[in-house]
Amino acid sequence: MPEETSNLAARRAAAGDSTAVVHADTTAKWFLISSIAYFFIVGIIAVTIAAKFVWPSLLGSVQYLTYGRLRPLHVNGMLFGWLLAADMGLTFFMIPRLCGVKLWSEKLGVATAALWNVIILSAVVCLLLGINQGLEYAELPLALDVLVVIAWIMFGANIFMTVASRKYDQMYVSIWYIMGTILWTAFVYLTGNFAVLFATGTNQANLNWMYVHNAVGLIFTPVGLAIAYYFIQKSSNMPLHSHKLSMIGFWALAFVYVWTGAHHMLHGPISQWLQTIAIAFSVMLLIPVWAVVYNFFATMKGQWHQLKDNVPLKFLMSGVVFYLLTCFQGPMHSLRSVNAIVSKTDWIPGHAHMAVLGAFSFFAIAGTYYMIPRVYKTRLFSDALGNWSFWMLMMGGLGFFVTLWLGGFWQGWQWNNPAIPFIDTVVALKPVWIVRFFSGILMFVGIVLFAYNIMATILGAKDRPEAAAA
Amino acid sequence: MLRKADSNFGFAIGAALVFFFIGGTLTTVVPPLIDKTWAKPFENNDPTKGPTGKLKPYTEIELKGREIYVREGCWYCHTQQTRTLLADTKRSGWKGVDSPISTPDEFVYDAPHMFGTKRTGPDLSRVGGKYDSQWHKTHFRNPRDLVPGSVMPPFPWIADDPEELKAMTAYLQSLGRSKNWRPDNDYEK
Repeated sequence: MPEETSNLAARRAAAGDSTAVVHADTTAKWFLISSIAYFFIVGIIAVTIAAKFVWPSLLGSVQYLTYGRLRPLHVNGMLFGWLLAADMGLTFFMIPRLCGVKLWSEKLGVATAALWNVIILSAVVCLLLGINQGLEYAELPLALDVLVVIAWIMFGANIFMTVASRKYDQMYVSIWYIMGTILWTAFVYLTGNFAVLFATGTNQANLNWMYVHNAVGLIFTPVGLAIAYYFIQKSSNMPLHSHKLSMIGFWALAFVYVWTGAHHMLHGPISQWLQTIAIAFSVMLLIPVWAVVYNFFATMKGQWHQLKDNVPLKFLMSGVVFYLLTCFQGPMHSLRSVNAIVSKTDWIPGHAHMAVLGAFSFFAIAGTYYMIPRVYKTRLFSDALGNWSFWMLMMGGLGFFVTLWLGGFWQGWQWNNPAIPFIDTVVALKPVWIVRFFSGILMFVGIVLFAYNIMATILGAKDRPEAAAA
Repeated sequence: MLRKADSNFGFAIGAALVFFFIGGTLTTVVPPLIDKTWAKPFENNDPTKGPTGKLKPYTEIELKGREIYVREGCWYCHTQQTRTLLADTKRSGWKGVDSPISTPDEFVYDAPHMFGTKRTGPDLSRVGGKYDSQWHKTHFRNPRDLVPGSVMPPFPWIADDPEELKAMTAYLQSLGRSKNWRPDNDYEK
């Protein structure tokens, strides 16, 4: 029975768009195109703040462009303007196909995309003006938070109504993950942006870290895995290895993730017992992560040769490796002894970028490379350019991650020796920041090539009709 | 049992929420009910129990300075927590005196909290009273004039605005002062 179910789900997922339903995909296109534009624009901000570490007085007399205002713009822009919008676009592509029906309402979907753009553009203005709530990932003013909630309800209603009217009884793994994302995000977002305003000090920090941690763990992780579960199968044309493992991964994630927020305050002014709980559950995160990663690797068994000339699959499987690594680092950072070295150092941005860029953005890029040619009924403008975008992001990403880990670890050791003056530990990191800046440029080139390839695919769609068997 | 979630829409949603809410409630709503120090302002009159002192609410000018600190994103590079690590108590210390560790009861009036996650610059949890206001003014205009090698951005629009500079300095001088931790009481103004 279990294997039967698994193969059934797999065949359905693999046969998703051969059904007679014709999808309009207007919403998916809108979300994807705008998110790629933000990926490019915020990429410029990213390189600028990396440059500020090398030349600290750069743009120093312009208050709107100071580091403390560009950094939240970089973080919010990448998380919500690029990644979450791209993830929503891909969800609007996947869900109707997995359910075998049309999207419940294209009109509502397009309105959601328009509202989302209003939110992001307003956020850019607010953050440059220094209108900042002072809470990480929750910087946006209350009015914009309310708009985000409205947009999320519009998005959720559309997806849930589509799932409720599905043609297939059984729901593929990606559908659970997307439903989980929509529900959990609602509560995590309300906690991090509204409940948090009624608390102060340590209590507020605890709510803030619950939100920050779960913004990654219960928004970007489940929707990212939904994308990986869908597009790995589609790109490789292989059925999912095990349905049972995918269930273990999903339900373990649903239970374990939310407990871990306090690991952001290890050794800090928060109850020791809460720190210990957060550590225990952080280590338990290895269970859902390894279940998922093993499932993906086993799906690819005997099929790794496909990576040679399959651009989406390259991004997907490298994303899986980065996901494995970043989710191994996470539990290890939570151990008190390791935390005493790496916490608050430059190691942490290395870790965070591997999660958000290396794993989840790679999944979203793969989904985009797969989806855009199909919804525009054409072929990708250039596979060669697609490969170049992969290698630029890969080399730039690795340069960024690895130098910051080494630098951060070294910095942590120096901090733990109080005989070394603090400023010496800053000066010591300068070579690391130079390498990070040049790695950032490589990553930005990768983004430009990706954006150009997608733009050229869309603009030239009419001249290059899809091959007969697309 | 969870296999039911494969094909039952309502069951999948219900189970996903129940799983989430167990940990969600136990780690956010419950802890402040158990640990009362999160909400009770610091007060100690007994020197045998550690540093004495009392946490007072911020004054108007300190609050104004705090708003600037939030606006300029100082908290992206400066933490405000002396952790339970020996090196932290040494680094937050001053003139050979180790700093006491930060405790939740010192931050009851902090909203938004400014604990921070990244130390690109030094921790500021005990910076109050370490440098005089002239030092801060020069440092805001160009940090590298006082600290060669620093990567802190210059803030001329604060240094050149007497009101903002006064507020900002007042806030910084208040940091970590609820605990009287320096025996010689040698705090700068």
